[in-house]
Amino acid sequence: MLQAGDWAFVFANLDYLLAGAGITVGLTLTSLLLGFLTGFPAGAIEVYGDGILERVVSTGGVVLRGTPIVVIMLVLFFVVSISKSAFITATVGLGLRSAAYQSQIFRGALQSVDEGQMEAARSVGMSRFEAIRYVVVPQALRRSMPGFQNEFTIVLKDTSIAFAIGLAELLTRGNDLFTQSGRSTAVLEVFLTISAIYFVLTFATNRGLDRLSDYYAIPSGENR
Amino acid sequence: MTLLRVEDVHKSYGDEEVLKGVSFEMDRGDVDVLMGPSGSGKSTMLRCINRLTEIDSGDVWLDGTPVYGPDTDVNELRQDVGMVFQDFNLFAHLTAVENITLGLKRVLGVPKAEARERAMEHLEQVGLAAQADSYPAELSGGQQQRVGIARALAMEPKLMLFDEPTSALDPELVGEVVEVMRDLAAGGMTMLVVSHEMGFARSAADDIHFLDSGTVVESGPPEQLFERPEHDRTRAFLTGLQAETHQ
Amino acid sequence: MSTDEPSVADEVRTTVTVDTDQPWALIGLAVFWGWLLARWTNDFLLPAGLAVPREQSFFPVGPFEAARETLLSVAASLGLFGAPFAFLAGLFSFVVGAIPSLPALGRGAWLTIVLTVGGIALGFVLAVPLSVARVYGGRWLRWVSLSYTELIRGTPLLAQLFVLYFGLPLTQIIREVPGVGVGYVPGTAAWVAIIGFTLNSAAYQAEYIRSALESVDAGQLTAARSIGLSKVESIRYVVLPQGLRYAIPSWSNELVYLIKYSSLAAFITVRELFFQAESIANETFRYTELYVLAALFYLALVISASVLMNGVETKTALPGLGGKREA
Repeated sequence: MLQAGDWAFVFANLDYLLAGAGITVGLTLTSLLLGFLTGFPAGAIEVYGDGILERVVSTGGVVLRGTPIVVIMLVLFFVVSISKSAFITATVGLGLRSAAYQSQIFRGALQSVDEGQMEAARSVGMSRFEAIRYVVVPQALRRSMPGFQNEFTIVLKDTSIAFAIGLAELLTRGNDLFTQSGRSTAVLEVFLTISAIYFVLTFATNRGLDRLSDYYAIPSGENR
Repeated sequence: MTLLRVEDVHKSYGDEEVLKGVSFEMDRGDVDVLMGPSGSGKSTMLRCINRLTEIDSGDVWLDGTPVYGPDTDVNELRQDVGMVFQDFNLFAHLTAVENITLGLKRVLGVPKAEARERAMEHLEQVGLAAQADSYPAELSGGQQQRVGIARALAMEPKLMLFDEPTSALDPELVGEVVEVMRDLAAGGMTMLVVSHEMGFARSAADDIHFLDSGTVVESGPPEQLFERPEHDRTRAFLTGLQAETHQ
Repeated sequence: MSTDEPSVADEVRTTVTVDTDQPWALIGLAVFWGWLLARWTNDFLLPAGLAVPREQSFFPVGPFEAARETLLSVAASLGLFGAPFAFLAGLFSFVVGAIPSLPALGRGAWLTIVLTVGGIALGFVLAVPLSVARVYGGRWLRWVSLSYTELIRGTPLLAQLFVLYFGLPLTQIIREVPGVGVGYVPGTAAWVAIIGFTLNSAAYQAEYIRSALESVDAGQLTAARSIGLSKVESIRYVVLPQGLRYAIPSWSNELVYLIKYSSLAAFITVRELFFQAESIANETFRYTELYVLAALFYLALVISASVLMNGVETKTALPGLGGKREA
């Protein structure tokens, strides 16, 4: 199965694969950013909002969380046709889906902040908005870190599904390599290589975010 | 001169009437203590004064301003009423000094450097200048509560409310908080305290109001209420309380 | 933050909250399952031609087409005020486009469920030893278990399926197994997909079970040993029954996750729900109808799974132990 000649073929095309990994990373970042910018307000609306807006946001969330990402991408590509660019389509698909999950992470974090924090803030004369902005949100954001880390790696891995709309990211490039004529014997080598690249990316992301959340963690002593 | 007037305040949660027409008055500089069995409405009464809880009927005046008046800005009102909570409620993501500067900066618009200076003064007042940069979770319960007091003081309130400030503390930590409260009382601060701390009540209180089932059963200076209570309910409550403290 | 207990929820790969108190959701589910069960009975159980031919929908297209034409002419005659009628006509033309593909989607949904249930059940069988090895095993066992879960969780499911299907000679081996693809038994590609979902899901389930096992009080194991149970017996009869209850909420998430990600089996030619929708869409160019239908089918399956798992959670709850706090 594994052959020296096929490994040589993979290494000769490593630049091509790494460029795909670059697109994978770029897509991960744009999707997470869109997901954060949409998901954070959505989570806040689910906690503090009411009426029609709250219902629309929570129903939209259920639909996005209950539909496979490949279906979401194809709907955006063929039905809504938001863009001819596969990268933009994939960003919107992964981003909106991530927003639906991030909103749940933030919702849980906002709700987990003790009510006494809000009361204490109001008792020194802050408005409700100020209390949320300066007291509840900073604590909720820190509590979201584990969930956000989880979401980061999910999005990173799911960028591979942009294969379905032909975006030339890592997995698609791996597929393109072995489907060249005469190269079908290299399939295992190609996919082991791209799997290794994905693994390095998720591993590095997890360690990096661990560091980050240790850095921003609120110190606690022996007391209490 | 009257600073706080509470007049016939009623409050219900669902079917349960927690306050059934409570009235009392405090002059500037007074220290009053609310006592009573749990569920008697003490804490609710306290929270109705800065509108963390809204009353159903009655009136509350603070320094001549109707607390429930249609033109009253709740946020402005609350700057004049400091509150100290049973579970401290320090902002968990901020250091001791930042807990105090947050209100100064965001509510009063005090510039950063001045806010820190003022906050440090108040931390010194409660004996915690050395802990200024510690986070709440790094402080003992007694220290957290003293920061809580400093946070309320920093807004320079006209009235300070204390909601069972020592009941979440280990016995050996109660003393340091009571001492800070005594100093405040001696310094002329107007204080309304919900507490069963007999020592504090005896030495610092001007008046004690005994609440039971949502009404003020009896009011008076500590020596009178503790030594010669008029009502059986007050007597029974105090006997129980003394038995508990002597254990 | 750092004083918080690490919770099972931190490890969960997805969360779907569905408000099942909504009557419309329950009515929708009842209609969906009624139709699906009738479809399967007709296509798989009844002799061919007894009721409706396999490829033919239960619902005739004609009346809907007629209704659409009527609505369109009404809309045209009303001019500007005809917009609501034009909108209704649009809905009817969606129905007209959707009806012919329903039988194929019903068959696809069956395979989706087979892949999901197969993957999660076999994955569970693999996950229990993996997690027990991770928590109670010696150094070497712990290392093997950790490496496996990290490798699987660190790479995309789609890449894993490609390795199994294109990279390894699995297909040649499975093809030789007697019975594969005969009658109700799924074909080669579907088996490869089930193996892929099993290997993948085992890693995630092992993580859920691991953190659930760790949340069982250490005193429980000590107490079990003190009455003379061996270590294995203590784990089997005391720790696992408690730990698995803690793992149920994560398990619901895993089920939902697999329902959705079973759609990736389409890329290795398994004719499940998404494959059916995509291939019909590509043939007929009715992208809107097919992809919206596919989304609705998956939503119905996902919501059904949440309802089902909520029931399981309530059923298995013990006082003071995991499950729902109230109820």
